Amino acid sequence: MLGNLAEPALLGFSSGLVCLAACGPVLLPWLAAAGEGGRGTARLLAQFLGGRLVGYLGFASLAWAIGLALPLPARTNAFAYGLVHIALAIALLVFAVPARRRPEPCARLSIFRRATTRSGFLAPVLLGFLTGLNLCPPFVAAGVRAAERHSLPGALAFFLLFFAGTLVWFLPYLGSALLRRLPAVPTVARWSAALVAVYYLLLGGLTLGGAWLHG
Amino acid sequence: MADPVVLETTRPAPRSIGRSALLTLPLLLWALLMFSHAVDLRENAGRAAALLTCAFMVALFFLMVRTRRTYRWRRVFFVALGVLFPIGFIAQLYALRGSMSIPVERMLSGDTPFCFLAIPMLIVPAALTRTVIFPGSILPTASNPHSVATMIAVWFAATLVLGKAWCAFGCFFGGIEEGFAALPRKAKLRDLPPRLRWVPWSVLAAVVLLSAATFEPTYCMWLCPFKAVTEFPEVRSAQTAIQFAIFGMLFGGLVVVMPLLTRLRTQCTLLCPFGAFQSLFNKLTVFDVRIDRSRCTDCVACRRACPTLVLDEAAVTAGGPGISCMKCGACVDSCTKQAAVWHVKGTPIAARPETARLLFLYPAWSFATLFGGSIIAGSLAQLLRPLLH
Repeated sequence: MLGNLAEPALLGFSSGLVCLAACGPVLLPWLAAAGEGGRGTARLLAQFLGGRLVGYLGFASLAWAIGLALPLPARTNAFAYGLVHIALAIALLVFAVPARRRPEPCARLSIFRRATTRSGFLAPVLLGFLTGLNLCPPFVAAGVRAAERHSLPGALAFFLLFFAGTLVWFLPYLGSALLRRLPAVPTVARWSAALVAVYYLLLGGLTLGGAWLHG
Repeated sequence: MADPVVLETTRPAPRSIGRSALLTLPLLLWALLMFSHAVDLRENAGRAAALLTCAFMVALFFLMVRTRRTYRWRRVFFVALGVLFPIGFIAQLYALRGSMSIPVERMLSGDTPFCFLAIPMLIVPAALTRTVIFPGSILPTASNPHSVATMIAVWFAATLVLGKAWCAFGCFFGGIEEGFAALPRKAKLRDLPPRLRWVPWSVLAAVVLLSAATFEPTYCMWLCPFKAVTEFPEVRSAQTAIQFAIFGMLFGGLVVVMPLLTRLRTQCTLLCPFGAFQSLFNKLTVFDVRIDRSRCTDCVACRRACPTLVLDEAAVTAGGPGISCMKCGACVDSCTKQAAVWHVKGTPIAARPETARLLFLYPAWSFATLFGGSIIAGSLAQLLRPLLH
């Protein structure tokens, strides 16, 4: 029993450094651009992690449902990887543009308004969800182990504990609240989010194109 | 403490030749010592290149001392470095592997020459996982003499003393755009928004985070304009073709066209993440440039002369260009009222600016001679070899 609980938590804890690095390009510019204090940053981080948890559990359900089909064929993996990156890029690009500079039709949509107000939760949750679907090696390893569980709750519990194991590695991001003292930081952070978005867009496009052409 | 020297408001007369020669003597000795090791002196081309470069560096220092001007003479050296570095580097690549492109197999085997631009991207992965993510070799090898350890040692030593002056005295790429920026008599495109100076910080943040996430030096793989004139991954796929196109467009746009239009070092101003990273080290150095507000007449000559967007109205009002100044000396040389001055931190502003300038120039030019001078000598030796063989 203890081993069953310890395995996913330890797997998460031991690979959490990869999560810290993998989420950095999305999370840090977002937190820095928000310009919140300590409590606000903690709230945004919690929302991001909530979105990431949803992504994990969704993947766990999928992994369990597919079961023995894992690992997926390379082409399917490449499509999933490419689509997730493109979605992440679009989300980052939308959220990188300040609300007042957004094209009128976008600015009027309530979903975008809500996403960028300080109390809005859509942006961090969506970004967390999409980074949660990042197919990094420890995540895929956890997916394979979850797929071997006998029941869906077992697979979900495995990913929940895996997620809990990684959490401690996200604490350093709370330090981004210190950056709000520098007036240029929100601008720098928004521009770097846009650059990261372009990178993911390119990467996603190349992956999709490769999968499409070469199988 | 002695009273501050009261400065004249007009530019002082040139130093006497004898005094200038005396002040140049330490640099002459340093240059002789350096160039006795920099190139292969057993061959005619090596000897000629060493002699020429030694004379070149010492003459420029002499002129800086005699005329009391920095920027003009530093630019001559810097443009020479910018022109000769790619020539020598490409010649070396052709000698080693017969091409400017590097196949992925050779990258994986650690044959990529290490460049200082990658340094900011190495720090986070090295701190987290003790891994050097650059596909080069840690120590020099026969197939790759430009190792990670050598470059980091040179960079670290120079940075502690010079801070961002690396970008004005050490960067072997900056001279290319500085050369193009010097060509037009007037800027056709003026008044770039000062907030654009934050772009390199954004690029720095993005490439550092992406490099940590992907374990590859993202800037070198995707954004470095100088890949177009040095070394680039062999074009074998859509990805490498896109990378090569990006390198070419950035080089053409930011290193050639924009400097010609704006007379600015636009790649440094609008892209280079290493420059932003290097700005952080300006806090460590004792040298800076300040603006004496009591003398300043707001003529904006310094702002027009600044080759980056560091000096804006707010900076002039604040009394100095802040941490992003690369200490090229353009603003000081352009100021007819001696309001823009060299300064040693902890001393009164404009107390002894010429002494501060010389105190800065000795280490800066010694480094330029050691690092840039040896690159110039090496490239000259390559060029002279067919003639003097």
